[in-house]
Amino acid sequence: MADFIKHPVVGLPDRKPDPVIPADQLHFSDEEKKQIQTWISRYPTADGAVMRALWLAQEKFGFLPPEVVQLVADELNIPYANAYGVATFYTQYFKEKKGKYVLDVCTCFSCQLCGGFDMLHYLEEKLNVHKGETTEDGIFTVQEAECLGACGSAPMLQITNGTYVHNLTEEKIDALIDALREDRMPAFTSVTLPQDEDELGGNRRSDVEHTEAYQAGPVSETTR
Amino acid sequence: MPTITIDNQTFEFEGQHGLLQFCLDNGVDLPHFCYHPAMSAPANCRQCLVEVGMPQRDRATGEISTDEDGNPLIQFMPKLQTSCSMQMADGMVVQTHRSSELVKRAQKDTLEFLLINHPLDCPICDQAGHCPLQNQAYKHGPEGSRFEFEKVHKPKHIDLGPRVVLDGERCINCTRCVRFTREVSKSDQLTIIERGVKNYPMTPPGVEFNEPYSMNVIDICPVGALTSKDHRFKARIWEMSKTASVSTVGAKGSNCYYWVKDNQIMKVTPRTNMDVNEFWLADEERLEYRKFNEDRPDGPTVEGAPVSWELAWKAAADCLSGVDGSRILFLGSAWATVEDNYLLAKMADAVGASAPVYLPHVEEGHGDGWLRTDDRTPNAQGCERLGIHAASAQDLKARLEAGEIDVLYVMEDDPVASGVCSVADLAGIKVVLHHYNTTNQTLQAADVALPAAMAVETVGTFVNVDGHAQRLRPAKAIAGVNRTLSMEIGKCRADRHGTPFDKWYNESNLINCQPGWVALPAVAAALGHEMTYKGPKQIMEEVSASNPAFKGATYSAMGELGVRLESTGVTA
Ligand code: SF4
Ligand code: FES
Ligand code: FES
Repeated sequence: MADFIKHPVVGLPDRKPDPVIPADQLHFSDEEKKQIQTWISRYPTADGAVMRALWLAQEKFGFLPPEVVQLVADELNIPYANAYGVATFYTQYFKEKKGKYVLDVCTCFSCQLCGGFDMLHYLEEKLNVHKGETTEDGIFTVQEAECLGACGSAPMLQITNGTYVHNLTEEKIDALIDALREDRMPAFTSVTLPQDEDELGGNRRSDVEHTEAYQAGPVSETTR
Repeated sequence: MPTITIDNQTFEFEGQHGLLQFCLDNGVDLPHFCYHPAMSAPANCRQCLVEVGMPQRDRATGEISTDEDGNPLIQFMPKLQTSCSMQMADGMVVQTHRSSELVKRAQKDTLEFLLINHPLDCPICDQAGHCPLQNQAYKHGPEGSRFEFEKVHKPKHIDLGPRVVLDGERCINCTRCVRFTREVSKSDQLTIIERGVKNYPMTPPGVEFNEPYSMNVIDICPVGALTSKDHRFKARIWEMSKTASVSTVGAKGSNCYYWVKDNQIMKVTPRTNMDVNEFWLADEERLEYRKFNEDRPDGPTVEGAPVSWELAWKAAADCLSGVDGSRILFLGSAWATVEDNYLLAKMADAVGASAPVYLPHVEEGHGDGWLRTDDRTPNAQGCERLGIHAASAQDLKARLEAGEIDVLYVMEDDPVASGVCSVADLAGIKVVLHHYNTTNQTLQAADVALPAAMAVETVGTFVNVDGHAQRLRPAKAIAGVNRTLSMEIGKCRADRHGTPFDKWYNESNLINCQPGWVALPAVAAALGHEMTYKGPKQIMEEVSASNPAFKGATYSAMGELGVRLESTGVTA
């Protein structure tokens, strides 16, 4: 993926792609249909449920090729064009096949200052891919992400639209990659807040098993 | 009555009004891009910002607070408001760019943003010259750009469908095109893809933008992002004249403009008429204009040989004279105007023939209940109201085969192509033919062929399927001098292109043909029957005064938007 800042070129999507999901697999189960109907019933019009339904489809099929977007649109009885517009708007909907684990490394302001790019480059070198690419074995996709709302524990990354890994270091990345190769997903981790240290042991949440202590962010090598 | 004050001028109003539309209707020229009166207002371009205030009310009493002079105190909203999505309320006070520096500044800044990634390709852009972005940047925009970086490149010259081409870089993402397919044509073939600086309108994969109304997005696109595949790079807007007239492609009679350069129709665009086609035109109505330019005859012929018009009138009259009226078949035409059909009926009457009939050109299933109709002719209703009724090809064929006919007088139609008869069938029959194109298949059998002016070259009236009588105006000149046509061309075109008095006047591509209201009286005169009219206007005055089905349809009453005639119960 070319660097958009240096070469601001927006491509054209494939307008006549061949379907990738075999026709006999391209459907929702009765249970999924029921779930979608429940979502629809919560909104005044069916298009309110489009994001939930696309999400469900992505979890089922792994990504959202046009035929899956069409399937969602048909299930919601909304125009295919509308569903497609929504799917392309959000980067978390994958329009093409990704690796088993998608690593979104935040390089937005706070993370950048604390070494977000260093982490990204370390990961790129370690896995021998450029951002936006997938490793040859199909296990990892490395991406650059904008602020994921965990600036307090910068630098950080997110695994496949889910678990966050906070306070990244090279060692932490090594351990993470090893774990993911063995399909061990890190547990959800809550980062404590310094202002809560006295009263709550730093942790406001009662529903988490794992906490990680807040630490002052490192400073990026490239910023220094 | 509720009042609103706009730039210190107070207006009364009734009912619900959008602020932007009200301003536009009252001569306040508020700049805007995304708003379109026929569609929802997403308020995304931000060009229509104004200051809006309401009279302050005392909380305790609910009374309007006033200053020492008794004038109401106005509380302005803290931020500028988009006038397109603002509903008017009693007592509202609005400041536009005409009275507010803040609004002026906002318009300028918005334009600077809109232009950040807009290419500076106006010199080769089809929209230049009638581009809202260009005009507004000129009127309200900043002098230059402070954006010194490489602009974002997006896909260019992409065929969205067979008739519409996209230039993604020029798009300002107003979403008018998307809303058109969503709300007006309901084809849902377009959406905005991606987001931020990367977004542009596109079809979803596997879909082509091919709906029968697709070209309307070209007109409503406020920039040159959507252009016509047919018209791209053919003519600059200022090289063409624009004539308000009526479409000839179906029975709806959609109002349109004919754009002419060098006496050729270059394109057809919609003209707003809320009683007929609102803001829209079907693609077929825009694209069927080549018939006006191509395969046109050059002067009259007798037995295939070119002759002068005088000899041609005489020859046509000779075909009719001395023949028993009952053995002459007059064929009127739903392509021809009311005036011309009326004159034909008069001529039929003068020679003792029965009233003319016309051939219907109906294509079952073509219509869609909107602007496209099964009837592919513009004036069947006008014929019916004149008492010229549809005759089936089979009936006419039977009459010809039974040898009942000695002379076939055809005005502006093609019985051979319509399946009435073959050229061979017409061997023993005298045929006089007023024709538009050299592709007319009856031409081979015509003893006298009289090239006729087409709808874009004449003055006349069509009545649409709903009984709306509307005027045709000459968009392009024909060969020879005709005072009525010259006057009409001079009158109906603000730009005066194409009249002998302007610098664009050009003698190329003039067709040697005559309008029916010249040809028919000339033939009648050669026959010894006087049909003297000063022109089609006077003919229509006579028709509207004498025939109740045309009551009120005078030229002055029809004006630009036409007259809805009383229903006669007859359907074409
Ligand atoms: S292509 Fe034109 S009409 Fe469509 S969103 Fe862009 S600017 Fe608006
Ligand atoms: S900047 Fe990285 S999470 Fe906010
Ligand atoms: S016209 Fe009001 S925001 Fe575009």
